[in-house]
Amino acid sequence: MKNKRQMLWSALLKGYGVLFLVFLYLPLGLIVAFSFNANPINVAEWTGFTLDWYATIFQGASVEGNFDAAFTESPERIFDVIRTSFVVALSAASAATVIGTATALALARHKFFGKRFYQALLLLPMLVPDIVLGIALLIFFVGVGIELGLMTIIIGHVTFLSSYVFVVVSARLAGMDTTLEQASADLGAGPLTTFRRVTLPQIMPGVVGGFLLAFIISLDDVVITYFIAGVGSQTLPLFILAMMRRGLRPQITALAVLILLFSLIVASIGLILRNRKP
Amino acid sequence: MGFLQILSARKVYQTPEGSSVQALDDVTINIRNNEFLTLLGPSGCGKTTLLKCIAGFEDLDGGDLILDSKSLRSVPPHKRPFNTVFQNYALFPHMTVEQNVAYGMEVAGVSKVERDRRAGEALDLVGLSGFGGRRPTQLSGGQQQRVALARSLVLKPKVLLLDEPLSALDRKMRETMQIELKNLQHAVGITFVFVTHDQEEALAMSDRIAVLAQGRLQQLDTPTEVYDKPANEFVANFVGTSNMFAGTVASISGDRVILETGNGRRLAATSTAFRVGDQVRLVLRPEHLTILARDETGDADVPAIEGRVRETVFVGSTMQVHADIGHGRTALVSHPHTRRGSSDIAPGAEVRIGYSAASGHLIPMRSA
Repeated sequence: MKNKRQMLWSALLKGYGVLFLVFLYLPLGLIVAFSFNANPINVAEWTGFTLDWYATIFQGASVEGNFDAAFTESPERIFDVIRTSFVVALSAASAATVIGTATALALARHKFFGKRFYQALLLLPMLVPDIVLGIALLIFFVGVGIELGLMTIIIGHVTFLSSYVFVVVSARLAGMDTTLEQASADLGAGPLTTFRRVTLPQIMPGVVGGFLLAFIISLDDVVITYFIAGVGSQTLPLFILAMMRRGLRPQITALAVLILLFSLIVASIGLILRNRKP
Repeated sequence: MGFLQILSARKVYQTPEGSSVQALDDVTINIRNNEFLTLLGPSGCGKTTLLKCIAGFEDLDGGDLILDSKSLRSVPPHKRPFNTVFQNYALFPHMTVEQNVAYGMEVAGVSKVERDRRAGEALDLVGLSGFGGRRPTQLSGGQQQRVALARSLVLKPKVLLLDEPLSALDRKMRETMQIELKNLQHAVGITFVFVTHDQEEALAMSDRIAVLAQGRLQQLDTPTEVYDKPANEFVANFVGTSNMFAGTVASISGDRVILETGNGRRLAATSTAFRVGDQVRLVLRPEHLTILARDETGDADVPAIEGRVRETVFVGSTMQVHADIGHGRTALVSHPHTRRGSSDIAPGAEVRIGYSAASGHLIPMRSA
């Protein structure tokens, strides 16, 4: 009797688990599926398999067929915004990695007045609503008189990405044996040599992981970027948002799938590095 | 004149609760060249703090640290001619054994050829030749210990600091390493400052022992002196096992002292440091006590202690006899089991416990 009840519970639990996964991944599965849908008007109505939408991203109008109804964008335009996005993500993530790592080291290795307060302050950019941060940055740039453009997007991204890198590197530092640094000093190495030869190799997975996280977040950011992008520079998410004004077009689904694929690759690299033994 | 002098060292720690702890309180030790000095004490006695202050990881709040008549207070750790063997070994996990051993030389700018040669020699010295290409994680605790030793010794430090390096090893390995460390110290001729809480380890390895408690130096002497003539109650209890009796000096003739305990028990000791009427404690080590055979009289004019055997524990070389000696007290006698009369010793037996006045050591009553 008791055994039966246990089996029932176990089955229910398994069912719940499956449902949860479906809930989590069905929308993603759908967008992947419909990116191969031949219907140029209604994305959600299946009319046949096609690779045309992917082709339009790379080859544009040279692909045979009439895509006027689908409002496709030219590859030049698409790759232009992708380039912008990558320039922003690479520069912002790099700067944030240096700043975040240095801050994490300072807070982990030194005692100073107001350390706790400073620590809390560093987490704030992650908690402040994006829209508030976006408006605040806009007011700041306008107030200081910096012309909105690529530079302001990068600076804006660095402000909140540094917090993410800080958190990731701090976690790594917390797990690091501090006697290793003492041992290095004990063996005659000055602070710089110790950092280069002992500390950095030890926290490297955290630093790389922080960089990748920052890179992905930057690549994906819409709200903050929307406020500080200005007219001349458009990142990929903003571009897609603009495309959406003419409705959900099939080319968008193909583009989304490509972004998803890229994010998955970067995230996997990050996870593999993070789980590597120190 | 010591070769490394610790002068009135003071160190105060602030606890998170806001109170302060005196980790080192006026500690003065003159460390001699080429000696094996052990800092011995229970956890929290300040021994590790003192070691960290010597290494430079902690700064003294008062006092001084003098090497070859120069103060080390303002010298950062990486410029001090000392090397440390850490309790957890602190080997660099991302380097091979050989890279670990060569690290200090590399930082100092020693040529690659010279580095390889000396690293090889150092690994030879600790019996790990052929292990150079391995990672520290692929070695056993004892082997990691040896790598840590080689890594420090290869730099030929003026003083090698060892922070409880044997505490993580199992008993057998620990005993092997004790002998090896001592031999190594003789072979390399470097001053060793060794921190431990294990009094047996301290007695076995040291040229001199500095006993610390609550940040204060209790006694600094050779192992035999520390064991035979503990300076105070703390040392007598911490180093070895003691039977202790509090009493008043009743009479003195020459160096023979008779004291009387509060219960009227009369005991004998040898000392010239006290006067009649002084409050003292008598320390008798278990091996200084013997169970007298029926016809034995023991030492003349040393009154035997009457008792009743409560429990006997056979430990191989001796019989540990716990005897009730009245007034709720128990005496621990370490009785050679080959000695006469051993067969009479059984729980419940009435016995007389003898000792020689020469083995009775007196310490002053703690002024409290």
